[in-house]
Amino acid sequence: MNKRQFVAARKEDWQRFEKLLNRFDKVISKNLDSDQAADFSKLFRELCHDLSMVRSRGWGKGLSSYLNDLVSRGHNAFYRAPPARMSAIVWFLTVGFPQLFRRNIRYFVAASLLFFGPMAVTWGVIQHNPELARRVIPAEQLEQMQEMYPKVEESTGSSWKSSNAGSGERLIMAGFYTQHNVSIALDCFGRGILFGAGTAYTLIFNGIALGAVSGYLVGTGHHAKFLTFVVSHGSFELVAIAVAGGAGLMLGHALLHPGQRTRFESLWHRGLEAVQIAVGAGAMLLMAALIEAFWSPADVPDVLKVSVGALLWVFVVIYLSIAGRWERST
Amino acid sequence: MSPPGTSTALPRVSLEHVVETPENVVLTYQLAGPAARMGAFFIDFVIRIAIFAAFTFLAVMTLGRFLPALTVAMGLVLYFALDWLYFAICEGFFRGKTPGKHMYGLRVVHAAGYPISLWEAVVRNFVRAMDNAPFILFLGSYGVCWLTMLTCGKFRRLGDMVAQTVVIEERRVKVPKEPIILEKIQPIPRNELGGWVPAPTTMALIEEFLGRRGVLNYVRGHSMAIGLARVLATRLDYKGPVSQVEEYPMAFLARVYATFYRVEDDVLNIADEVRGPKRGKAGRTVEVAT
Repeated sequence: MNKRQFVAARKEDWQRFEKLLNRFDKVISKNLDSDQAADFSKLFRELCHDLSMVRSRGWGKGLSSYLNDLVSRGHNAFYRAPPARMSAIVWFLTVGFPQLFRRNIRYFVAASLLFFGPMAVTWGVIQHNPELARRVIPAEQLEQMQEMYPKVEESTGSSWKSSNAGSGERLIMAGFYTQHNVSIALDCFGRGILFGAGTAYTLIFNGIALGAVSGYLVGTGHHAKFLTFVVSHGSFELVAIAVAGGAGLMLGHALLHPGQRTRFESLWHRGLEAVQIAVGAGAMLLMAALIEAFWSPADVPDVLKVSVGALLWVFVVIYLSIAGRWERST
Repeated sequence: MSPPGTSTALPRVSLEHVVETPENVVLTYQLAGPAARMGAFFIDFVIRIAIFAAFTFLAVMTLGRFLPALTVAMGLVLYFALDWLYFAICEGFFRGKTPGKHMYGLRVVHAAGYPISLWEAVVRNFVRAMDNAPFILFLGSYGVCWLTMLTCGKFRRLGDMVAQTVVIEERRVKVPKEPIILEKIQPIPRNELGGWVPAPTTMALIEEFLGRRGVLNYVRGHSMAIGLARVLATRLDYKGPVSQVEEYPMAFLARVYATFYRVEDDVLNIADEVRGPKRGKAGRTVEVAT
C-alpha cells in the first residue's frame, strides 16, 4: 500500500474519529451512546495501528504528527478519570479521610508534638510571668486581646457580647475565619515540601503565639471569658492544624527518606495521600470557623458552653479514631 | 519503580514527553515551556481579579444594601476560593485546563498521558504557594518554580512533581495535504535514469519539503533543495540536462517524486505479500471487546 492510497483509504475514519473527539472538548461534554462508544473504541485502536504503521514505514513527520495528535487526544478521552460525584464528598468526609488519617497517624503525632509542645510550654511559662508575653506578641495586640475578653467583674450589662457579636459581625467573622484559618492550614501543608522544615516552622510559630496569648490572658485574670470562648471551636481548630501539619510532614518525610524510590517518585507516591489529609483538615477548619463565628460568642451560660465544648472535643476524637473503621479500606 | 507508562529513554533535557500507551503505541507530547505557562498564569490572574471586581461591584449595587455583613462574608470566602481553589477546580473539572491554559493551548496531563484526577489537580495547586516563594509584592515571584522548571527536566514545578503531572502544549494538526498535483508534473523518462530507487524515507522527505515550499521564498527554497537534488541526480544516474538540476532543484525534486511514487508502491506491495495478507479495508475491522 502506497502512502497516498493509505491516506485516501483511512482519511474518512480519521475525520470521523476527530468529530467524535471534538465532543469531548466542549465544557460540558455529553457522553457517547453505546454505538458511538463501540465505534470510538474501534477507531481508536485502528488509529493506534495506523500510527505504528506510518512510523515504521517512514512516511514522514507530517502524517505521523497528525496521527500522534489524534491518538494522544483519543488517549486522553479514553482514559479519562471518572466524573466527580456528590456522594464521593460525603464518602471522603465520613470514611476516606478518617481512614487515611489513622493510616498515617505517626505524622499527626509528630506534628502534635511540634504544635502543642511549644504551646503548652509557652502557656505555662507566660501564665506564671505574664510580662514575658511582650517579648512574643506586640503590646498593642495584647491590650486588644484584653479588651476582647474582659474580666468577669468588668463586664457590665452592655458587655463585649452585644458590641461584638451582632449577627452581621458574626457573618463577617465566619468569612474571615474561613479565609484566614484554612489558608494557614493549607500553607502548613504546602511548606512541607521544604523537607518538612517549613511545616515545622509554621507549627512551632503558631504554637508559641497561641500559647503566649492564652497564657497571658489566663495569667492576667481574663480566663473566664477567654476559655469559654475558645473551648468549642478549639476542638476542631487546634486538631485540624496539627492534622494539616502532619500532612506537611508526610511530604517532608517522603523527601528525606525516599526508601527504595528516588526522591521525586517518593514525593508523588505519598503526595496524593498527604493532600487528601490536608483537604480533610481544611474541612475541619471550615467547621471550626462556623462554630467560632456563631456559637462561641453566643450569649449562653458558661456551663452550657463548656459542656458543649467538651462534647465537641469528644466528637472530634471519636470522628478521627472511629469513623469509617468498619468500611473497606481503600 | 517508575510511573506506569513513562519512558526513560529520552534524555532528561527534552522538549518532548514520551508515553507508551496500553495499546503499545509510543506517543509524544510537546511540553509547554515557562513562557507560555507564565502567559496563561497572567490571563488566569486577570480573570480572578475580574471575578472579584465583578462580585464587589454587583454586591455593592444589590445585596450589599440590605445585607452588608453577608456580602462581606461572601467576599472573604470568594477571596479564599479564588486564592486556593480556582486552579484546582478548573483543572480538576475541565480536564487539566484553566481558562488561561485554554487560551494558550496548554493542558495538564498525568505523566502517563491521561487526564488528571481532581486530587492531582488539588495537590499540584496546593503546593503552588511554595512554588511562588519568595513572596514579593502582591503577586509573588515564582522563583522556586523557575528554578525547578529549568533544572529538573520536563519543565516541572514542585506541584508537578508531587502530583506527577506535566503541562503539555496541544497541537492541532491537519491531515497533511498532497504537496503537488502529480498529474501536472512530467515524470523523468526511464531512459534518463539508472536502476536505483529512492527509499520511502527519502520520498517522505521530498514530500514534506515540497509541502512547505509555500513558506519559503524562491532563493531560499532552491538553495535548500540543491544539496538533495545533486545527490539524487548522482545516485539516480540522471542523464538529462544538468541545468534541470542546477537551476531548478525544487522542480527536479518534484519530478523525482512524481516518477517514483508509483514505483514505491510496487516495492511495498511486494513487501506486503511477503509479510502476510494485504490489509484491505475489510481486513481492518477489529472485534469490539464487550
